Amino acid sequence: MKVTLEAKTGRIQPYLLLAPALAILIGFLLFPLMWNIYLSLHDVSLTTILGDWKYVGLKNFDNLIHDQDFHTSLKVSLIFVGGSVALQFFVGMVLAVVLNQQISGSNTIRALFIIPWTVSAVITGFSFKFIFSDSFGIMNYGLAQMGLEPVAWLSDPGIVVWTLVFANVWHGTPFTVIFLTAGLFSISPVVYEAARIDGATKIKSFLYITLPLLRPFIIINLILITMWSVNFFDLILVMTNGGPLFSSTTSSLFMYRQAFEFGLLSKGAAVGFLLIAMNLVLAYTYIKLLRSQDKTVEIRQ
Amino acid sequence: MKKAGHIRRDFSEGNIKFSKNMVHEFFCKDFKLILILALVAVVLITPSLSPLRVIQAQQPNQVTITAIVAEPKERWDALFADALAKLRENHPDMTINIDYSVLPYADTRKQILTAMAGKTPIDLISVDQIWLGEFAEGGFLSDLTELTNSWNRSSEWYKTNWDGGIYNGKVYGIWAWTDVRTMWYWKDLLNQSSVNPESLKTWAGYLEAAKKIENSTKGKGIEAMHLVGASHSPDMWYPYLWMQGGEIVKQKSGHPEKGTYWFPSYNSTEGVKALEFLRDQVNAGIKPQINHFWGQEFADKKFAVMLEGSWLLGHFNNTEWDTLDKNVGMIPMFPVPKAGDTSATMMGGWMLGIPSTSSNKALSWELLTIMVQPDVLAPMLEKYAYLPTQKPIAEGQYSGQLANTIPYYKELISMLSLGHSRPSIAEYPQIADNIRQAIDEVYLGAKEPKQALDDAAKKSAEVLGWS
Repeated sequence: MKVTLEAKTGRIQPYLLLAPALAILIGFLLFPLMWNIYLSLHDVSLTTILGDWKYVGLKNFDNLIHDQDFHTSLKVSLIFVGGSVALQFFVGMVLAVVLNQQISGSNTIRALFIIPWTVSAVITGFSFKFIFSDSFGIMNYGLAQMGLEPVAWLSDPGIVVWTLVFANVWHGTPFTVIFLTAGLFSISPVVYEAARIDGATKIKSFLYITLPLLRPFIIINLILITMWSVNFFDLILVMTNGGPLFSSTTSSLFMYRQAFEFGLLSKGAAVGFLLIAMNLVLAYTYIKLLRSQDKTVEIRQ
Repeated sequence: MKKAGHIRRDFSEGNIKFSKNMVHEFFCKDFKLILILALVAVVLITPSLSPLRVIQAQQPNQVTITAIVAEPKERWDALFADALAKLRENHPDMTINIDYSVLPYADTRKQILTAMAGKTPIDLISVDQIWLGEFAEGGFLSDLTELTNSWNRSSEWYKTNWDGGIYNGKVYGIWAWTDVRTMWYWKDLLNQSSVNPESLKTWAGYLEAAKKIENSTKGKGIEAMHLVGASHSPDMWYPYLWMQGGEIVKQKSGHPEKGTYWFPSYNSTEGVKALEFLRDQVNAGIKPQINHFWGQEFADKKFAVMLEGSWLLGHFNNTEWDTLDKNVGMIPMFPVPKAGDTSATMMGGWMLGIPSTSSNKALSWELLTIMVQPDVLAPMLEKYAYLPTQKPIAEGQYSGQLANTIPYYKELISMLSLGHSRPSIAEYPQIADNIRQAIDEVYLGAKEPKQALDDAAKKSAEVLGWS
């Protein structure tokens, strides 16, 4: 009997240990995801939420496919995410590498760099809204002082998305700096020393030592900043509310407005599901890229 | 898979005997303790079983009325304090409290809807007139028809204001106060530009004045005219539509599901002309403002002329009100196409409603009726420059006091007869967004007014189910 009890406890122990994590995953991830899918297959708005929910199948997705505003939001997302990720990564990488040199005060500068990331996106949004205000912003004031024409930073459809990218880069780059700095710390100085003795220049050391050894950090960083940029909407909501003419309405903001401004919960849920799919595809692509490059390195070695 | 199998084998074959004993001890002794602790935790966090909850539970004669209202907070502080004092006097045997949340305008509707969709018991809410249809349609508001019948005060309201609280023939809200949009200007800036305020009354004069003021204020950080380019830009376009006889939506038969239903009519000739006037303003050099500070920008003297609500007065210190007319002028109208035409304006303001989820409906209704009693409401209106919806305040004993305190009060009251209100239908937020898009397209020169409005109306028709 005792043996049986021991065997039983042995069998269930791993599951018991996993239970808390599983409960959190089911409660906060799987259930909302399933609920979101359920919602997207019905016709529910804030005005019908207390009544019967009519099943409509894939109608919400079909409507989205034919919605010009959703198409625009996808294009805006592509520019916003592409611009934000490229600039955040490039600026972050340059700063991380520069700060990794033997410069006095680099630790203090690193600490200062974190500040923009600790500021909430809403506060960042309000700050940049005032900085880039067309009539009374400090940017246009500065341009006027230099005798230049003011720029419609937030009201020109061709410019506004780049203003948002700038604000997002300011807000998000510190994360890349800190993350890549952690990666740079993990590379032993001995490797650089050996390369230097072999006659490698600083640029070659960067290209053939730093970049390959930093690759896992780069990939994870890219995955994270891409996903955050795809889902990012609070800064945009504050700065432009998607205007003018949808020219700054990203897909995440489109989802928010449909669900909470117009009360179209099912349509919002359908957009949310598509955004999840988009994030998964992007993450999968990055991971595949990482693995294929790892294999290439192994073959070379 | 391989690793997992390996671990299982170790357990079953007794290779880690010591660990196995530990596991056994854990399950026999520690696990019991953990189980007890877990049960205690569950009891503590489960509201219905929680001893804390039992301690907090109210006595039968102790009631807390909960409310969600829109900013600014000060007006509600004053109103609730006075009304609560009277409510307590009516019920000396009860301990009555009010727990109210004051939210920014943009969040109020969302928070109220979310709370009510989640069946959170709230007893009183402030309802913007354009939300009433949406809230009533969703079953979120209590039907107050019978209560208002026995209350017998409906005739004391101006008809437009009383009707604003009715949806599908039932009363869902009591319109507590209103406001009107009108034209404000800085006298010195107009003087410096040699602009006669009278010239602002017509569309042509307004455009001409804009150019003159722009020339004289250039480089001083002052804009000539304010033109709204924010999310509520349709609100500042409607008066031009209404003054020509146009409408936002009108009833039409042949709806595929509802028989007779609302159909967008804002793309009429009147609508096109109204939008052409906005385009002409942009062509005259007036910049649409995407940031809006509800009159603060005018009080800060960043604009010489601004079409803004009567609440703008609240941005000036009350001590300045006595002499405000020396510096700030007000023309009680929106510019009209030509001299002699009748103007129009938009009425806003707040209604009070009782959510269907309220657990203290009788007491909430009593509180609501006290809040709109002239002796309670009038002092608040006087302090914050809001306009009354009730005849006893507007025309009765309080009118003299309001007129003496609020600058331009008589002119503002005179505008109520020009007032129109937006349709309180569930689809209004989407229709307004369609119109906003059309206005933006015209501002940016992407489309001609007719094309922009036709495209917007097509979308609105779909939203209203006409497809």
